Amino acid sequence: MSFKKLLRSSNTALLIITVAVILLFYSFNQSFLSLENIRNIMNSMSFVGVLAVGMTMLLICGEVDLSSGAIACFGGVVVALLINAGIPWVIALILTILFGAACGLINALLINKLGFMNFIATLGLMSVFQGFVTVITQNKNIQIPTQSFWVLGSTTLFNVIPLPFIIMLVLMIAYSIILSNTGFGRSVYMCGGNRRAARLSGINPKRVSSILYINNGALAALAGAVLAARMHTASPMTGGSGALDAITAAVLGGVSFLGGAGKMSGCFIGILLLNVFNAGLTAVGFPPYWQIVARGSLLVLALCFDFVGTLARRRALERE
Amino acid sequence: MRKIIRTKMFALFLLLAAIVIIYTVLSDGAFVSPKNIRNILQSTTVVSLLTIGAGTLMIAGHIDLSLGGIGTMCAMLAAYLLRVGVPWYIALIAALAMGGICGAFNAILVNELRLQSFIATLATAAITQGFAPIISQGKQIDIYDPVFKFLGGGRFLNYVPYSLIISLLALLVYGIVLKNTKFGRGVYLIGGNPDAARLGGLRPKRISYALFINAGCLSALAGILLAGRLQTANTVGITNSQFAGITAAILGGISFGGGTGGMGGALIGILILNCFNNGMTVINVSPYWQTIASGALLLIALTVDFLSARRRLKT
Amino acid sequence: MERYLEFKGIKKAFPGVQALKEISFRAEGGRVLALLGENGAGKSTLLKILAGDLSADEGDIIISGKKQNFTSPFDAIKAGVSVIYQERQMIPAMSVMENIFAGALPKNKFGFIDKPRLKREAQEIISKFGLSIDPTTPVGRLSVAYQQMVEIMKAYRRGSDIIAFDEPTASLAEAEISILFKIIDELKREGKIIIYVSHRMAEIFQITDDIVVFKDGALVKTFVTAQTNEQELIRAMVGREIGDTYANLSRNTVYGDTLLEVKNLVTKKVKDVSFTLRKGEILGFAGLVGAGRTEVVRALFGVDKIISGEIFLEGKPIAFKSPTEAVAAGLALCPEDRKEQGLVLYRSIRDNVSIPVLSKICRFFFLDRRAEAELADNAVEKYSIKTPDTDKIVAELSGGNQQKVILGRWTSEKMTTRILILDEPTKGIDVGTKAEIYQRVCDFAKQGIGVIFISSELPEVIGVSDRIYVMREGRITGCVDRADATEEKILSLAMSDTAVTDGGEAK
Repeated sequence: MSFKKLLRSSNTALLIITVAVILLFYSFNQSFLSLENIRNIMNSMSFVGVLAVGMTMLLICGEVDLSSGAIACFGGVVVALLINAGIPWVIALILTILFGAACGLINALLINKLGFMNFIATLGLMSVFQGFVTVITQNKNIQIPTQSFWVLGSTTLFNVIPLPFIIMLVLMIAYSIILSNTGFGRSVYMCGGNRRAARLSGINPKRVSSILYINNGALAALAGAVLAARMHTASPMTGGSGALDAITAAVLGGVSFLGGAGKMSGCFIGILLLNVFNAGLTAVGFPPYWQIVARGSLLVLALCFDFVGTLARRRALERE
Repeated sequence: MRKIIRTKMFALFLLLAAIVIIYTVLSDGAFVSPKNIRNILQSTTVVSLLTIGAGTLMIAGHIDLSLGGIGTMCAMLAAYLLRVGVPWYIALIAALAMGGICGAFNAILVNELRLQSFIATLATAAITQGFAPIISQGKQIDIYDPVFKFLGGGRFLNYVPYSLIISLLALLVYGIVLKNTKFGRGVYLIGGNPDAARLGGLRPKRISYALFINAGCLSALAGILLAGRLQTANTVGITNSQFAGITAAILGGISFGGGTGGMGGALIGILILNCFNNGMTVINVSPYWQTIASGALLLIALTVDFLSARRRLKT
Repeated sequence: MERYLEFKGIKKAFPGVQALKEISFRAEGGRVLALLGENGAGKSTLLKILAGDLSADEGDIIISGKKQNFTSPFDAIKAGVSVIYQERQMIPAMSVMENIFAGALPKNKFGFIDKPRLKREAQEIISKFGLSIDPTTPVGRLSVAYQQMVEIMKAYRRGSDIIAFDEPTASLAEAEISILFKIIDELKREGKIIIYVSHRMAEIFQITDDIVVFKDGALVKTFVTAQTNEQELIRAMVGREIGDTYANLSRNTVYGDTLLEVKNLVTKKVKDVSFTLRKGEILGFAGLVGAGRTEVVRALFGVDKIISGEIFLEGKPIAFKSPTEAVAAGLALCPEDRKEQGLVLYRSIRDNVSIPVLSKICRFFFLDRRAEAELADNAVEKYSIKTPDTDKIVAELSGGNQQKVILGRWTSEKMTTRILILDEPTKGIDVGTKAEIYQRVCDFAKQGIGVIFISSELPEVIGVSDRIYVMREGRITGCVDRADATEEKILSLAMSDTAVTDGGEAK
């Protein structure tokens, strides 16, 4: 029981930190909590958030995908090309998601069929995907003049909550249910916690991991498409740090980099904290280049907490 | 075992020869013109230094993805120091020391906090990448110091770049250290099995610190040589050469699992990579396609590495 | 149709060893079949093949007339095979019920996990086993014995026709063992095929019907339990009368001064351990797996952190902060897990032998290759390691030869080893090489080296050591002289009534 409590308490602790950070920035700059800014934060959360959903699943399974930012970027470009070719946006969106899944499938094949180390395979594919994007776009933005598609990015609920944010929330809830209430979800934890035990229980860890890579590709492409809809344009520059941001958010939220532990709710708080942090740095006029450094440091910090947390969890599980 | 390595080296050599011949034919001989050969050699310097740093770490079972970020930042630091009037040698030492400090930071993350080296160094890369534009306010800093220009761009007999001589010497020295000293043997042993090496009386932690710091210093040197040649330090710096360094190491037979490979293979790996890339420019392949091709080459190198590892297990 | 399981000509090779040589036998439904053999005889490999964890190089598994070809554990489970491994395969952070139902969690009509049903059904199985475990507890919080029971419940839950147990009682106490035997009896009555691997003779005679004896990867003989006796079985296992090996050893009889004295050593896993070792003495350490013997030597060797206590080497206080210091002071450790901790598997014999003496074979910073080669050649000759040359990759040697490489490393002419620590040195090694290693150990003692000899095999630890310390749960529970040592005495010191029954659930 105390194990659950531990997780729960780490979530509460994180939430308190987030609130403290919000108040801190608010005390520096009152406009930090303006409706406009809150909407901005929600919007920026939604992109990393959708990436983080797929990444959280992979991390729990003990895997990682560094190419998801590039897939997202690719997804934005693909959806723009399809729509500009006159394909109805709903169909274009579905095709884009399928395209992302195909990118994920390549990752899955390299890792589970050819036995590459996950990080190096996804890192290699990241540069390949990014390269294709530059070739296709000639490094220029692609405008999307089709207004009907913009709906996906710019609709808001009660004039405050953007649709992309709602999409992220729905995905998080859905995947949270999958994680805790389905056999597949539990097998994700098992593969991350003890791969051999999972295999001997009749679970196929390679299959689970492949599904998660494909899923991650699909989600990344969706994130890229929604971003393109919000911006009315697909840019070859988006998503460069997407995968790393997603990892930072997930690990901040208590998803272990070593696999086997973590929850979607923690991932949500991690994204919230990350984006509040980023937005706050801008709001208080922190120089943009320092923000890069600050974000990198946040990742290091999150990883250190993960290490300490893993030790604590192990200790809690050991008797005596 | 020795036979396999020998045949693998031979295969690599054939591959190199094939690349050279194909490009020569496709470019009507322009590929082997003295000017182009000089270009290839020139581009070898940065990659060689990064390959030594990344390669020795890979032999020891680690990886460093922050070398590009570190080198870029250190070159920028040196350029900044020169601009504010610091003598060249202090600027040089300060930049190398900075590289060493960044390497030590990686080593602490990996050894003390037990983070996996790839994620730890990825985070360091994210941090160091931010520092270069901070130092220069997002601009580039021109270098007027004659010594730096000489180091980066000077040529022996007006043909062979001094920087190339530096990096070839480095490859030679590291090759000898790896194969013939206690430290070098330790690198292979901890890459093969760190626990057994430790229980045998070696100090894996110390070796890994030395390697990370060494890699940081080497990438700082690579950054400085490039900046000296271009006579300016910019915010991109050697970032894009980082994967080239890793790819060359893998191409040359340094396996990701650790414990195998050497500097001789790495040199051929570097030549293959540089000829491959340079040739694309010579035969006018769009630079955009070149990024894809380099990524693909990394994956091909990995596949070959994987297949030869499997063959090794079977024998 | 009657149930049976038949192995037909199963062969399996690992680099350097033929682990199984054409194994063929048949197990009948409604009977318990014992697999008997020394460590490394091939029992575990056969079980792994049965479980689909490994695949055989040749041969077939036939279940009730149907030829099976397992490529994954999933196939084996589907075909009704459950194997309960000695090392527990569980996910510590997950609940007992999820572990019991791992891979087959009950679903409701929406495809979600039916948690109430999961809990109910898990509770039913737990009650059937007569245990008091809360099904929602994470398994990591259970005692080792209860974790083992969860594994058994997992196999029971699957309703498999074939259930194989690999030393299931190794970590169980009497009460749990009797529950287990009751369950096995019941399974037997249901006509299931039970395969039972154990080293405990008493158990084998208590619950098995047939016995298959393995030796060095080959099937030696099959017995009907009711028509045989212990001596006959041991003769089949060992291939000769037991006792010979030890009686024929040429032992050291003269001990020197106290070499090592440990006083009140405390670490995370070791509680207040004190002992002494004299020059030329072989000190045995007996106890169950996990009793803390390995942890004692790890602390000595500077691997684990010492919380309190004093260690004296020839009267001088020492406290090594790293193995490097221990090696410099003349300690040598052959670790329990040869492949994981002892050897750099994909390097040559030469590289493995020279590890601790690299600085001694350096000339002006450079390694003296000739001296290194000589060192390795001497080791190969001295221990008659079977290899064409010293360039050979260690991974390709057999277990016995690998162990000799480690011994060669610590006893080369460049080493001045004063204390040699051997942790389970004969694990997975064939009988002939074992005898050879015992004699080596005695020879070391004759040279005045103090030997610490850790072993879980009682005859071995009794046969080789001069004195035997017995450990239980991190403490030394007694010291027995060679002359007074019997298996019963050591076992009773190693296990007591309270040993492993310390409650199922954490407070």
